[in-house]
Amino acid sequence: MLLRLWVPILASVCLVASGSPATAQEKSGIKPGFVLPQRSARILLIRPTIKVGAQSTGGMFEPNADWTAQAKENLAVALAAAQTKLGNEILIADEPIGPAATTMADYRALFSVLADSVIRYQFFVGNRLPTKKRKDAFEWTMGPGVADLAKGTGADYALFLFNEDQYGSTGRKILQAFAAMAYVSVKSGEHKGFAGLVDLHTGDLVWLNADLAMGGDVRTPDGAQKRVSQLLKNFPGSSQSAAPASAAK
Amino acid sequence: MAIVVAAPLAAKGDPLPTLPPYAGAYQPQGMDERGLWMMVDEDERLLRDSKAVVSDPKLQSYLHDVVCRAVGAPRCDSVRIYVVRNAAFNASMAPNGMLVVQTGLLLRVRNEAELAAVLGHEFAHFELRHSLVGFKQKRSATDVMAWAGVAAAGAYTYGGTGAYNTVRTAQSVQNAAFGSIFAFSREQERQADLLSMAYLKASSYDPRCFADLWGRVMDEADATARGRRQRSTRYDRVAFFATHPATLERATYLRELAIAMDKSGEDGRARLDAAMVAWRPQLLADQIKLNDFEGTDYLLGELAGAQWTADLLFARGELYRSRGNPRDLVSAAGFYRAALEQEPSNADAYRGLGLAQMRSRDPAAADSLRRYLAMKPNAVDSAMISTLIQ
Repeated sequence: MLLRLWVPILASVCLVASGSPATAQEKSGIKPGFVLPQRSARILLIRPTIKVGAQSTGGMFEPNADWTAQAKENLAVALAAAQTKLGNEILIADEPIGPAATTMADYRALFSVLADSVIRYQFFVGNRLPTKKRKDAFEWTMGPGVADLAKGTGADYALFLFNEDQYGSTGRKILQAFAAMAYVSVKSGEHKGFAGLVDLHTGDLVWLNADLAMGGDVRTPDGAQKRVSQLLKNFPGSSQSAAPASAAK
Repeated sequence: MAIVVAAPLAAKGDPLPTLPPYAGAYQPQGMDERGLWMMVDEDERLLRDSKAVVSDPKLQSYLHDVVCRAVGAPRCDSVRIYVVRNAAFNASMAPNGMLVVQTGLLLRVRNEAELAAVLGHEFAHFELRHSLVGFKQKRSATDVMAWAGVAAAGAYTYGGTGAYNTVRTAQSVQNAAFGSIFAFSREQERQADLLSMAYLKASSYDPRCFADLWGRVMDEADATARGRRQRSTRYDRVAFFATHPATLERATYLRELAIAMDKSGEDGRARLDAAMVAWRPQLLADQIKLNDFEGTDYLLGELAGAQWTADLLFARGELYRSRGNPRDLVSAAGFYRAALEQEPSNADAYRGLGLAQMRSRDPAAADSLRRYLAMKPNAVDSAMISTLIQ
């Protein structure tokens, strides 16, 4: 009730995981008619949120600083390689200071709300808001003020990344095996993430990809490459992006 | 409070812990602690740049001084203090030394010693590494719960003669493990209270203040409940899901410890008042927006004590005007007038007075609002107020 202790991690003690919540859901959307300028886009990478750890026997997230550091390194390399292949340039901004830091914090917070709304009210077909029901509609924006983020960088787009990996611990796997013998399904591990591209001139969200069950071990360079290719699925200008917004089913 | 509970503390020995040894710039040790710190380090980056944090270097350094006076000079340098604009009474501590103080706490503490007691409690969580220990306990408990769940599922699936008893036992184990998470949290809070009292003992502050604070917290919660036509909380019982000891229990053992200490000290009220003077109007305005008439009225009365100052009278006027019954508007006008007697330059009091009078169909309203506009020609609502007096 009062004078609490900070608890950064919520325990999820659900023993029985529901089948696959992601199947009914779309995974990515792209603004209709949006075309990324061929081989010239300068993309500002916003400090990605990356958490890697283990999943305890009871299903709690156990953050691991070493794995997270490895993943940050591997994902950065893999991302730069993937974007270079598309002909885009990834800019990594210096950590902002002073009022710029507040602006950055504001837009990072706004983006997480925006991505959450898109996933909840557009990608989840049964839960669509009336304005999002039109076929191929993908109208989301952060407002033109987001241009402030690009000041002095010359970037045209901002890329936001979120990635969380929970690797099932040995205890969790043993529990899973015993539970299977009792015909109870226990999910071991969780690998979710999303990535979004924002036009820094208009503030519009031009592409968002969210995946709640991804592959690739981000702790290794090869796995990180696979992960990045999944995070950047349907990225504007990549081969699959010709498909309309509702393609990923 | 009329209810009395049995003294929870054994009389033998000194119940207060000795202060742990302190070495500066502690680095997290081991996988779990490093993981936790990594997470909150990232959270702290976001909080540091957030607009929810009150940016006032003077207030910041004052609070830092209070922590130093409470827990001692080198210790206090290991925390970073963030004042978050939140009218609820609370403060929290992250494992890496990020201390979050809500403005609702700053409004409610009556003197610096009370503030020091609360900040000492939070610091104790940090010094005792409670987040880490709590994390490990929760992990063990949820592990037990998961295995008990599998045992129950197995018994259910494969049946046999003892299946029913196995399922019942497994459920009991799960309940016990789940309850242990909250019991453990309550024990940590108790430890933090005790260590906070140990800090107070070594400091210049009066240790009796901590219990005083809890007494008023209970009375305010009672007033809130009364205003909302709710049953008040029982302060003498521990609920299954309670993360903290019952407030009455805390008040009781803190009072006993303070009496046993037999130490008087300063309350530092003048310093607190001086530090908060610039912020109090804002904190009072935030409190009034909570839409908690009875609780706020109690709080204002407590803050005033024997002396109703102009800012409290103005706040009370705003509170009554916001409820807006015809009788409240009359009371509000009275409070605004009393505030203006003490502080004739308070333009906002003329605004409140005028609006209250207008709703009471008092022809003097226009005059009050004109005075407001004359005193504050650039007010954000000047255009709107002008339309009212044409």
